[in-house]
Order: sequence, then C-alpha cells, then structure tokens
Amino acid sequence: MTLFLRLFFSAVLLLLATGFVQAQTSGWVKASHLKAELVSDHQDLKPGQTFKLALHFIPDDHWHTYWQNPGDSGLATSIDWTLPDGVTAGAIQWPAPMAIAVPPLVNYGFEGPTILVSELTVPANYKNSQLLIKAKVDWLVCKEVCIPAEASFELNLPVTQTAIEARDYKQLFEQASQKQPKPVSLQGRYDVQNQKFSAVVQMPEDLKVSAFFVSAPELVDHAAPQEIEWVDGELLLRQQKNTYFSQAPARFELVLNTVAGPVLLHLQHEGVPVSSELSLASFSLLDWLGMLLLAALGGLILNLMPCVFPVLSLKALSLANGQNSTPQIKAEALWYSAGVIISFVLLAAVLLVFRAAGQAAGWGFQLQNPLIVGLLAYLLFILGLSLSGVMQLGMGWMNSGQQLTQKQGHKGSFFTGVLAVVVASPCTAPFMGTALGYAATQPALAALAIFAALGLGMALPFLLLAWWPGFAAVLPKPGLWMEKLKQWLAYPLYLSAVWLLWVYGRQQGLDALALALVGLVLVGAACWLWGQQQLQQAGKVSSLIALLLVAGSVALLWYPQPVAQKITKTDHAEAWSEQRLKQLVQEGKPVLVNMTADWCITCLVNERVALNTDSSKAAMALYNLTYLKGDWTNKDPAISAYLRQFQRDGVPLYVVYWPGQPPEILPQILTPDSLRQALEQLSSKQPLITSQ
Amino acid sequence: MKLKFALSLSALVFAGTLFAAPQVGQAAPAFNLTDSKGQSHSLADFAGKTVVLEWTNHDCPFVVKHYSGNMQGLQKQFGTDDVVWLTVISSAPGKQGHVTPAKADELTSSRNATPDAVLFDETGVTGKAYDAKTTPHMYVIDQKGVLQYMGGIDSIPSAKVGDIAKATPYFSNALTAVLAGNPADPAVTKPYGCSIKY
Repeated sequence: MTLFLRLFFSAVLLLLATGFVQAQTSGWVKASHLKAELVSDHQDLKPGQTFKLALHFIPDDHWHTYWQNPGDSGLATSIDWTLPDGVTAGAIQWPAPMAIAVPPLVNYGFEGPTILVSELTVPANYKNSQLLIKAKVDWLVCKEVCIPAEASFELNLPVTQTAIEARDYKQLFEQASQKQPKPVSLQGRYDVQNQKFSAVVQMPEDLKVSAFFVSAPELVDHAAPQEIEWVDGELLLRQQKNTYFSQAPARFELVLNTVAGPVLLHLQHEGVPVSSELSLASFSLLDWLGMLLLAALGGLILNLMPCVFPVLSLKALSLANGQNSTPQIKAEALWYSAGVIISFVLLAAVLLVFRAAGQAAGWGFQLQNPLIVGLLAYLLFILGLSLSGVMQLGMGWMNSGQQLTQKQGHKGSFFTGVLAVVVASPCTAPFMGTALGYAATQPALAALAIFAALGLGMALPFLLLAWWPGFAAVLPKPGLWMEKLKQWLAYPLYLSAVWLLWVYGRQQGLDALALALVGLVLVGAACWLWGQQQLQQAGKVSSLIALLLVAGSVALLWYPQPVAQKITKTDHAEAWSEQRLKQLVQEGKPVLVNMTADWCITCLVNERVALNTDSSKAAMALYNLTYLKGDWTNKDPAISAYLRQFQRDGVPLYVVYWPGQPPEILPQILTPDSLRQALEQLSSKQPLITSQ
Repeated sequence: MKLKFALSLSALVFAGTLFAAPQVGQAAPAFNLTDSKGQSHSLADFAGKTVVLEWTNHDCPFVVKHYSGNMQGLQKQFGTDDVVWLTVISSAPGKQGHVTPAKADELTSSRNATPDAVLFDETGVTGKAYDAKTTPHMYVIDQKGVLQYMGGIDSIPSAKVGDIAKATPYFSNALTAVLAGNPADPAVTKPYGCSIKY
C-alpha cells in the first residue's frame, strides 16, 4: 500500500514535472528540413505583464529561412496569432540577417538555429487562470529548392499573482537578444533617384560599416555592390535600385553590420518636397489655434488704427442715433461683422489663388528671388511713409465707400464692414504680416479660418457694443493720440524694410544694395510728390515725375550686378549665378556647375563622395577650375530655368564648361574619379580646337 | 572628330550595359530560344501579337500553387489568337528545375497546360536580360514589342493555394488592360517565388 502510494505520488510528480516543462514550450514540430518550437520566457504569467515568446527554428545544415525583406526571392516567416481577448502581440524582433548569395540573386535570411522573438502583453484586468496562445506560422525553408511549410503551435500558460521566469529557456532568450541588431539613435535619410538608392546617416564616430540591409522589399538591387563610406561624421550608402521598385516607403528599418556588431536604425524618406505635402506636414493644430487667437487679437487692435477708427465711431454714432430697438442694433452689428469677415475671407481666397497659381508656375511664396525681396522692401517703405503722413493711402477708396455706408439698413452696415477692411489695408501690415506669412504656408481651410478670425477680431467691438451698449463709455474717443499711434507704427515698417534690404544685399552684393538704396530714395521722392498732389499743391507734371521715379527705382533692382557673389558654407564653392557663369565662360575659364538642394540625398552623397574630396579639390586646382554651386532647395526660378536648358526638371545636375567645348554634363551619380576623368578628357580634347 | 565619335559611341555602349534592366514602356529585350519541339522563336516573330512570358520551374512550390488550376485557367482565358503564351525555363543544365524537352511536354499534358510553347533558356541570357528572379515571374509585351507589365502573378506572396482567391490578380488585370489598349496599373509588382536556378 505504501509502495503503491509512493509510486502513485512519484507518477503524479512526474506528470506535473512534464506538464510543467511543456507549459513553457509547444514541443518540437518536425517539418521537412526544419524543426520548430514555440517557447515562453515565463512559466507563470501575471496580469499586466509583458513577456516574450520565441519561435525557435533549427533547420538542416545549409538550409535557410528568410528575413522581413527576403531579398530577390524567398518569403519572410510570418506568425498569425490567436490570443485571448485583450492579449496583444507585437511584431517579430528579427535577428540581424545575413546575405545569402544564389547567383545572380541575393537573399536576406538566416542559416543555422534562428530565434524569432515576439513580445506579448497580458492586460491588467485579465481574469482567467490560463492563457492559451495559438500561433499559425508560415515559413519557407530553402537550400537550392524551397519548401514552404505551415505549422500550428500551442502554449497554455498559467496566470497567477506572481510571474515566474522560465529558467530552462533563459539562455535561449539571451542568445536571441545577442543575435538581434542593437537599436541606435542615429538619424538617417534616404532617397531613390536615377537608378540609385542613396542614404545619409549622421554617425559621429566611424563604426566601420561592412554591409547594410534595408527592410523595405524591392528597394535595392540586392545583388548589386554596396557602396559604403564614412566621411566627416556621416555614413553614406549607395546601391543600385531594384528593377521592381515602385514606391519609396516613408520609413523603414536599416541594419548595419559594424565593427561592434549589427546595429538597427530607421531611414526616413526624403524626396522632392511636394507643395501640398509640405504645407500639410507643417500643419499643427496647437499652432493653428494659437494663430487663430493672435489673428483675432490683431483684428481687435486694427480698430485703433486711424484709418479704421473713424469708421467705427461713425458707425457707433449711427447706432446710437438710430432706432433704439435692440434687435435692430444687434442685426446691424451682425451685418457689419459679416461684411468685415467676408472681406477678409475673400482676401484670403485671393491669396490662395495666387499661391496655387504661383506654385503651378514653379515659384512659391519665398524670399528666393532678389527682385521680389527688393520690391517688398520698397512696399514696406511706402507703407511706412504713409503712416508717417508723407501721403495718404486709400483716400480714393474711402470716398467711394463712404456713399455705400451712408445707405441705411443692413446693406449699409454690411458695406461699412467691407469699407473698414478696405481702408484698413494700408495700416494692417504690421499686424497682419505674421498671420499672413503663416497662412501662406497652411492648407487652404486653415488659412481661410485665420483670416476669418482676423475679421472677427476687428468686428468684435461692434458686437460688444450691440449687446452691451455701456461698452461705448469704455471706447476711447478719436483724437490726436490716434495720429501719434499711427506715426509710431511707421517705425516697425521701416525696420522690416531694412531687414529685407539686408537679405537683398546678401543675395546680390554690396553694389546692388547701394543701387537698391538709391531706388529707395527715389521711392521716397515719389511718395513726397504724391503727398503734395493730394494736398493740391502740385500738378499733373509732378504725378508723372513720381511715376517715373518709381519706375526708375524698380529698374535699379534689375541692374545686373557684376560682382554679385555669395560665399556658401563649402569653402571651395562659389554661389552660382547666371551672370557669374557667363562672365567666367567669357573669360575662357573652366567651370564646374553643381546644382543641388538640401533635400536631395543623391546630391549630398555625390558631394561628399566625389566633389568635396582631396583628389577632386586637387583636380580643380590643377585645371584652375571655378566651382559654382547653385542651391535649389527652394526651387529658385533662375536655377529652374538653367535646369531646363539641359532638359532637366530636378537636381542633381553637374555641368563642366571647358573653353572651346560644348558644356559637358556629368552623370547624376558621381564616383570619386568622375570629375578628374572628365577634366582629363576635356583637357586632352583642347589641342584639337586651339592648335590652329 | 573621329575621337569624339568614338568617345560618344563608347559612352553609348557603356550606358547600354549600365541600364540593361528591363523597363516598362521600353522595348522588351529581344530573345531567340528553342522550344520543346526544337523550333526556335524570337520576340520579333510575334510582332502584332501580345506576348506573355511565364518563367517556371515545375518543382517550385509557388509554381505548384498556381498550377493547381489558376495558371491553366489564365492560359485558357487568354488563349486567343491575339495572345502568345510562352513558358520559359531558365534552370541551367544540372540545376534544379532543368528538364528535357520530352519531360517538358509531358508536364504540359499532365498538367493540362496550354502554353503556345515551352522555351529553354539554358544559358540564362534571356532570363537575365528580363531580370527574371523568381518562378513564377510574369511579363506582358504588347503588339509593338513594348514591355507593359513585369512582376508577380498576384498580390499575396505565399505558397498556399487558398490565397489565390484572396489576392489581387495583378498579371491577369495587366493583360486584360493591355489587350484593351490601356496601360497596366500597376505595371511593376513584386515577383515572388523560388529563385531561378541560373
């Protein structure tokens, strides 16, 4: 009896033990050329915890399974989980892959024992005492032939109050994490252009990268040679693009084999910015709400402008004098507000139409074009002069509008609102500038809302007046202070003009700046004449002279600047300009033109690998080559026109001018020898032309 | 002058080798291959017809998946006088998937397949010219000899027959579009399957 009991207990213990072990593993599933098991890193789970499951593959010798990007053929292993409600499983944490050559193809995958780890989370409110995990796994195992397989695994883990790790499998999970690439916080960008994948990774220290693996399928030609270079804190990668490449993913994983083992980072796609994408990307709800508030405040302050306040007080007066029935006053206030807001929204709509047209024509709202910068400086100066009282802007509009406002009723109120906006326009610049600038880069609806808020702010005193007539007492009375305020507000405008002129000077050089300043004096004279005429102290002749002066000042901005030079960051490159290029070519000097943009990864890689190198610099010095660099980051129209000369609509573009030879276009993908070879060739051609 | 000509000629040849990869919208690479009956075929012979190229390897599980009826169905569906369906075997002699002409014919009849011809590309020159990577791998060439589609047979890369019905039939859609005179959309997709045993 005791013997029987003892046997019985040992049998129970044995069963428990085996049950115990089996709970942490599904047991081996044997398939063709590969055996697999599913293993847990915990033998007991508790609610709210995260735990790991490992899919453990042991293939026959020289048989392999595939990475998330399997390469030219093959198939990534996939797991389809069936889990209790609330339990979630993350993506497979892949080990670092290896390149498996099957000439002429290359696959990415794993040979030998392979551990694919997934992280699962038990919800905090998990009630059951058991957690049943079912995994349906698909894999492809290949040597020369491939064998697809599908297998199901089951694990049933107890859920208790204390989590217990599975000690038997600790080593397996340690092995798994050793084989995974270490995540590093390096920033990387990539692009696919002209048959090439190019990437730049900010890497302060050279990690001696020997190979890279992109997780995106059909991106690179996996069998093509990888170009890997580390230059001045940047890792540059290049590889032929895949024949079956169709779309560049926004972001994907990149594994680098380094001297310290494999590391993992993400590459962000960077291509030619598309206007709508750009504006939508920069749209932030919080910023937008802030700008709405600012715009409303700006609109409110507009009421203090001398060009608006008389209208306001006029209307306030007519409100007070008119029928005293409150509903009537309220209706008028609403009509006035409608007039103001609709005018602003219309203004915004016009702006948006211009923006769309501008983008279609290839020039955005940007301060790239020196002519536009110069004209803006003039405009701000004129507005400033107007505020200073040299002349009055918008007098004609005000008079024509006055008649409409004198109409009684809703129509009159509506047009008073419109008039307020129209006459306000010369005074609005300092307040509206910011809102305008912001709205110009926003999606259409957001921009319209900004302007509506501006209008609402401007109409606000009226609405307040209609609902709380006592508010009238708080309103300041019109008087001399308004004129003073107006005159003070001229100075921010003058300062803005100074800033624009500084930008202009940077773009065009000191001589051009001096000419623009002469233009500014002419504009001042023209405005003074205009003011004289408004005061009936000058005749038609002076208007004509004023017009000529303005025309002259604009012409000065067109004057070609022979010494216009801009020194950019790269020491041995000079900024490109049409004139500078023409001048150098006429002087018979060899020139290299490099058209680039900050967002053009191909350009950056080319420069680092092939142009900013000692050998290329030596070649430039040897052939006395002038290196002109054009920055198309903001799609400078002058550069766009230059690109079109070579039937290009994008960068990079490299052109070598050699005296007596037609311009020679270098390939869009440069090698370290490209420039030197081109120069050697061109210089050896030269005698054919000049031997006469 | 002569030097310049020679230089530009060499540049052209160089560019030619550099961009050997087939491109949709460009002329499909020419070929001249012998079929299982000993007859030779070149792409030029089929001017005026739409040509389908199907790379195959009868033992490849992805090919087996589609020869469970799908491939035969497509061959029948598009088996009109306007379409020439060419099955290509690029497995090198001695490599997996390489078969004798007799075996190829036997496979065709035992599987109820109806290609217009089964072509042998033992050197792999044609397969490499088309950048054919997997079996199956599908190409559609229009009546003017312009490549219109290249890539996978459908959208779900698996070896499971059950996925065929769930997948978007890229190749079938492309061929239908090309026969109607429209461009294929998408015209380039991911080829999936076993690697071709060049």
